Amino acid sequence: MIPLADLLIFSGLLFSVGIFGVLTRRNFIMLLISIEIIMNSAILNFIAFAAYSPAGSPLQEVSGQGIAVVLIGLAATEVALGLAIVLALNRIIGSVDVADAMQLKL
Amino acid sequence: MPLLGCSQVSIDEILFALLAGASLITAVLALLAREIVHTIMWIAILFVSIGLVYFLLEAPFLGVLQLAVYAGAVTILLLFAVMVVKKRIFSREAVTGIGVSSVLLTLALALLMAGNALRVPAGTTGRFYPTGTLSQSLFLDYGGWVILLGFVVLSALVGSVYLAKESRGRHIRAEGE
Repeated sequence: MIPLADLLIFSGLLFSVGIFGVLTRRNFIMLLISIEIIMNSAILNFIAFAAYSPAGSPLQEVSGQGIAVVLIGLAATEVALGLAIVLALNRIIGSVDVADAMQLKL
Repeated sequence: MPLLGCSQVSIDEILFALLAGASLITAVLALLAREIVHTIMWIAILFVSIGLVYFLLEAPFLGVLQLAVYAGAVTILLLFAVMVVKKRIFSREAVTGIGVSSVLLTLALALLMAGNALRVPAGTTGRFYPTGTLSQSLFLDYGGWVILLGFVVLSALVGSVYLAKESRGRHIRAEGE
């Protein structure tokens, strides 16, 4: 069994890498990729704590995995919406650089 | 870290160390790659190795879902968007130098974890539940959330179609500016 502390450190490092991408990149697609890395570290936390849940009924012990299922669905939805925004931005202002879309209007 | 101090290391921990190292390296390489198609290839490897970590954590359904949704669907969606945008996209760096703050965040996190790692409960569970238990938990205890997720996905579908549609009025206005 993997120690919980190692899992948390791994998840935290992955989160930091994602934050680095969000802060330094100006491409909208790179921003989406970095947000996906952050979401993955959060989902990993849920699954790690589900594996270490205190003894209870089986339905309670796997509930962390259930939340992770819902989160994976939400993350996929978010990517789809983000890419639709990328396509609209590319069509309207002709660029996918977030610095070119600072006015937030069409 | 418990991994380093332990005298007998199980095969799970060795595999986890390899997968975690590979994940972190591929994540950094993905963010440092110059062409965005290379970034997407690195990110696919990252998603696969995180899915393997889920298998190690005795969550096989989540591992399969990670492989199908992240390594499959999300990667293909990103590639599709890059192909449609049809420009040679290079990821430029922002000039603000704010990225240093994330390095500071990493250091703070490492300090916090090193201080708190002993207080994390070290009990091993070793209990394994089949996927049927997860589906019972999802549809009996969290049925409302699953239905809500369905509505969220539906509304996102409508929103994506609305955004990606060629809107004539907007197009003319954008050209007029």
